[in-house]
Amino acid sequence: MEIGPHIKLHRIKQEMTQAELAEGIVSSAYLSKIENEKTEASPHVISLLCTRLGIQLDNETDEMVRQKCQEWFGMLTTNHDRDEIIRIYQELNEIMYNNHSADSLLMFEIHKIRYFLVIGEMDKALRQINKLVEMSGTFDSLHQYYWYKFRGNYYTANNESNQAMRMYKAAEEKFNQLELSEEEIADLQYTIGVTHSKLRNTLEAIDYAEKAIATFRVTYNFTQCAQCHIVLGISYRRIRMYDKAIKNYNLAKHLGELKQNRRVIQLTNQNLGYLYSTVGDREKAIVHYEEIIKEQDILLFERILAATSLIKEYYSIYNFDKAKEMVEFSLQLLEEVDEKERFQLFYFITYTYNYAINQELEKFESLVIDEFIPYLKKHKDYANLVIYANMLANHFEGNNRYKESVKYYKLANNTYEELVSL
Amino acid sequence: MRKVIATVAFGALLVAGLSAVQEAPADSAMEWEPKVFSVGQDVSLF
Repeated sequence: MEIGPHIKLHRIKQEMTQAELAEGIVSSAYLSKIENEKTEASPHVISLLCTRLGIQLDNETDEMVRQKCQEWFGMLTTNHDRDEIIRIYQELNEIMYNNHSADSLLMFEIHKIRYFLVIGEMDKALRQINKLVEMSGTFDSLHQYYWYKFRGNYYTANNESNQAMRMYKAAEEKFNQLELSEEEIADLQYTIGVTHSKLRNTLEAIDYAEKAIATFRVTYNFTQCAQCHIVLGISYRRIRMYDKAIKNYNLAKHLGELKQNRRVIQLTNQNLGYLYSTVGDREKAIVHYEEIIKEQDILLFERILAATSLIKEYYSIYNFDKAKEMVEFSLQLLEEVDEKERFQLFYFITYTYNYAINQELEKFESLVIDEFIPYLKKHKDYANLVIYANMLANHFEGNNRYKESVKYYKLANNTYEELVSL
Repeated sequence: MRKVIATVAFGALLVAGLSAVQEAPADSAMEWEPKVFSVGQDVSLF
């Protein structure tokens, strides 16, 4: 719509006369010409008239920008090409501030949190959150929904699952106030399901994964279905419903194969390997872990995870040759690591078994007592603390050092009690 | 000698207790949830 008729429409809607609108800006006669497109007024005059009417300038561009924003928001939700996401962000960043729609600008600013997380810029994500905190009092329900959801994502990225859950629940409370798409609702439900799983709230994890999968099935989102099945597999394993766990894992694997998603397939192998390990079927566990090692098209992290899992499995069946082979393999992979801190746990596991297999007992003791166990305590990694305290206790017992052995059995036992009370 | 026997017995009891529990000690590093969404080059953060 041209600006003249647009101004007229708004003037009439607001029951203003031409004289009232034109006062102090132009004559009524001139305003009439503008409204009827008999003349072209200056941008300054147009701006003054629009301001008086409280309407946005340049609505056609507004619409184009809004659409581009929606497209970009969508890219941040699905697995999209990173360079494309960055390119459109840069385009939007140039034009958003010329756009007079405060609502679009605010939504763009909120989505920047997610954008920074997606491109791996955690510091920028935090800065963006801090920048928006002051304005958050003016957010409407839809702004608040994404504000809470993306802040939750930030905490998830920081492994702060409790804080993340708080944010996701706050976002969930907005469901009743908004008309969100089924996919958006399912995405949050899936996110909450994964977070419950990390917090070991098993029944809640099952509940949310089931809710999410009901939508993903209908929308044929096979990858998300597969991921829900993995959450269900983990949860059923934890409550010892092994058949159901295996069934869910197999479904996840099947869907992963349908979509040729290597990551989903190998994540399923990792978790299946773990399930078989916990029920004592080491051979099957090894089969699944070995599948992962063979895979080239997965991340370093996943290969190291599988390698260290294999070290443990081979060690536990006294196949020290294969365990040694896996230690070497793990050490090779660890050399490729940039951020050593993130992989610290795997360094500890690899070296612990390395010293144990090679009978370098002093080094074994020194590493586990002085570094590994304090690390696990600091990170509240109770599960691994039980395992390695137990391993140390066994070692001392095997060497007739009973006093030290009891100390670490006690640590294992107390930690286990802590773990089951979570 | 009595101390040694007591220690070994205690240790065995703890091991037996750990094995007979409802849920085996879960290894948090080895059981892995799927990602919430992709992050940069390494999705394992999620």
